[in-house]
Amino acid sequence: MTKPIIEVKNLAKSFGKNDVLKDITEQVNPGQVIVVIGPSGGGKSTFLRCLNLLETPNSGEVDFDGQNLTTLDTKKVNELREQMGMVFQGFNLFPNMTVLENIKLAPMKVKGMDDAAATKRAHELLDQVNLDDHADAFPSNLSGGQAQRVAIARALAMDPKVMLFDEPTSALDPEMVGEVLNVMQELANQGMTMVVVTHEMGFAKSVADRVWFMADGYIQENNTPDEFFSNPQTDRAKDFLSKILM
Amino acid sequence: MKKKLILLLALVLTVVTGFTALSSTTANAATDNSLTKVEKKGTLVMGTSPDYPPYEFQATVHGKSKIVGMDVAVGKKIAKDMGVKLVVKSMSFDSLLVALQTGKVDMVISGMNPTPARKKNVDFTHTYYQGGYSIVINKSDKGIYKDKDSFVGKTIGAQTGSTMYNESKKQTSGTTVKGMTSVSDLILALQSHKIQGVAMEKPSAQAYVANNKELAAIPSKFDLSASDTSASVAFAKGSDALVAKANKSVDQIKNQNLVNKDYLPAAGKYLKTNTVNTSMLHYWKAFLTGIEYTLIITVCSVFFGFIMGVILALARMGQGGVVRTGLRWLATAYVEFIRGTPMMVQVMFVYFGLGLIVNLPALTSGIIAISLNSGAYVAEYIRGGINSVDDGQTEAARSLGMSSGATMRFVVLPQALKNIWPSLGNEFITLIKDSSIVSIIGVSELIFQSNIVRSDTYRGVAPIAVIMVLYFVLTFTASRILNYFERRMQHD
Ligand SMILES: Nc1ncnc2c1ncn2[C@@H]1O[C@H](COP(=O)(O)OP(=O)(O)O)[C@@H](O)[C@H]1O
Ligand SMILES: [Mg+2]
Repeated sequence: MTKPIIEVKNLAKSFGKNDVLKDITEQVNPGQVIVVIGPSGGGKSTFLRCLNLLETPNSGEVDFDGQNLTTLDTKKVNELREQMGMVFQGFNLFPNMTVLENIKLAPMKVKGMDDAAATKRAHELLDQVNLDDHADAFPSNLSGGQAQRVAIARALAMDPKVMLFDEPTSALDPEMVGEVLNVMQELANQGMTMVVVTHEMGFAKSVADRVWFMADGYIQENNTPDEFFSNPQTDRAKDFLSKILM
Repeated sequence: MKKKLILLLALVLTVVTGFTALSSTTANAATDNSLTKVEKKGTLVMGTSPDYPPYEFQATVHGKSKIVGMDVAVGKKIAKDMGVKLVVKSMSFDSLLVALQTGKVDMVISGMNPTPARKKNVDFTHTYYQGGYSIVINKSDKGIYKDKDSFVGKTIGAQTGSTMYNESKKQTSGTTVKGMTSVSDLILALQSHKIQGVAMEKPSAQAYVANNKELAAIPSKFDLSASDTSASVAFAKGSDALVAKANKSVDQIKNQNLVNKDYLPAAGKYLKTNTVNTSMLHYWKAFLTGIEYTLIITVCSVFFGFIMGVILALARMGQGGVVRTGLRWLATAYVEFIRGTPMMVQVMFVYFGLGLIVNLPALTSGIIAISLNSGAYVAEYIRGGINSVDDGQTEAARSLGMSSGATMRFVVLPQALKNIWPSLGNEFITLIKDSSIVSIIGVSELIFQSNIVRSDTYRGVAPIAVIMVLYFVLTFTASRILNYFERRMQHD
């Protein structure tokens, strides 16, 4: 039996009186693609951000590669974060740097990679997301789809073991959604472990190994995509699906 | 304005005296070796306010600006008799006694009268020169004014902090007495009819009249004690050995009538050569020095102020933990305090106050004070700049494994700086102008140099016009350069 790469145990997180995550216990195995879906405000982003400790959980554990992140010191957490790439809804590219510099920054400053090696690696990654001709562009000159692909390349530059995606296509014009999903699908095909928050049901159906349905601070259902979409168990999920599949 | 200056000086003096009282044991211990100390360092530092010809004034000697006059000759003799070298330091008249008490200078020779009030704070030698007072008026008014009593309903001027100022107030009635720091300002006020007369010592009056055809001197008829018209050398309180040694030189000067025989005629010669060429072009070197110092002060202060600003801004934004909270509190208090006190007081405090602990040169003190001041303002800009950077930037950097420090340095600060570049540019331009404040502690920046040129040439307006243009050229050039960089940063 494979050892899970991420194990979440009794995770809880609240903002003041707002209990966003109540009690979550799940695990992600290496190479798995998990799609997290659920109503807006249900805590999906918060959950994802707890995985790499951008948010500090109130209680419970997040184990990554066998280490409990919540007990580690800041330096160790920084090191483990390198291994969890994150892609945001709003891209969050560094606007004052070129595409190439965006990708090179962390490998050089965190891993101490030299400029030549980082540049070479950046070009490879840009090639992978079909954007090598935009290496010297500034983010403001990219379309949303291009920017998000650069953001993916930037996260990949740290050679992460896991990629976290928080609604990567929600801010895109419809005609650009495809190009980003294609890149993600390729990544999944290469065996990358991924946790993806998305409303793209097509992507969930064709790429996900498991679908987690999240609402009211709990993972309400954990199922295969086929089962989940054809035969949801909870009323909460049925209600949700009926609304978005109209 | 001048009144304010006096108030500020009184404040600084109080603080300084407080310090002195605290360190009085050391001061007493120094009493006996005051002379040995001077002999050991090999220099005798004389403080003077060089805008009072023929006592002391700036002259161009071999193309270099130099302080000359009969007081400098007196200082030279005293130093020579002690077997040490004389160093002349110039500063405003009001600052002289503070400088003496804080050890910035060893002695003050500046046509200073040994009044009882001053004797409380410093020790004086015997008199080296016995003068009297005249009142300088516009020649066209010669028929109207005869002596101090003819100015009822009018205004006469005198150098702030001087004996003439106090006596003019005491011994006239119905006359307004206006104080200004420099005699050349007073002469300018006289010529532009803001005031009708200027009370000053006789030799000075004679020098001004001799060099300006539109002026005339009348007797003052002040009723004065000998101490009010005599000039002595001042030393720090309790330096008996120095005073005794200097008295020997002073007595010789008096007995041999050296002032009238040698010193005054020599000073008069400088005055003559000095006023031959009063065109502003002739003084380009003085102005160049001014520009140089103004730029040195500004650039250094902007640099250090910026570093301080970053540190303060980060400290102010620190969160959590006792240490961070403490630092945040300290930084906030510092910023509020600096922004709530005048830069002029800060400059004087650094020079005279900190000067008690470490003897800093005026230029260094000025740069420190202005950097400390600028840091507080820059901190606020930077804080605003950092807050203006989207949180997503920090999250992206942290998710890539960058530490909070690296995130700040490589991601947030560069963007924050870009956002606040215009404010920082404004700060730079403000500092070019505000650096003029250090002229009060004798740093030879533009304002200071223009004052020298004014007292040198007896021309009041021209040097002001020149530095106005120079300041504008500096600020305009700076703002063009800053704009250029601002445009270059606009690639997103
Ligand atoms: N930093 C925060 N401070 C306070 N409340 C927050 C914060 N982040 C999220 N929340 C709240 O937590 C809840 C869940 O938000 P989120 O995790 O963004 O949900 P989702 O991504 O599923 O839409 C919302 O009610 C939101 O207002
Ligand atoms: Mg969300």
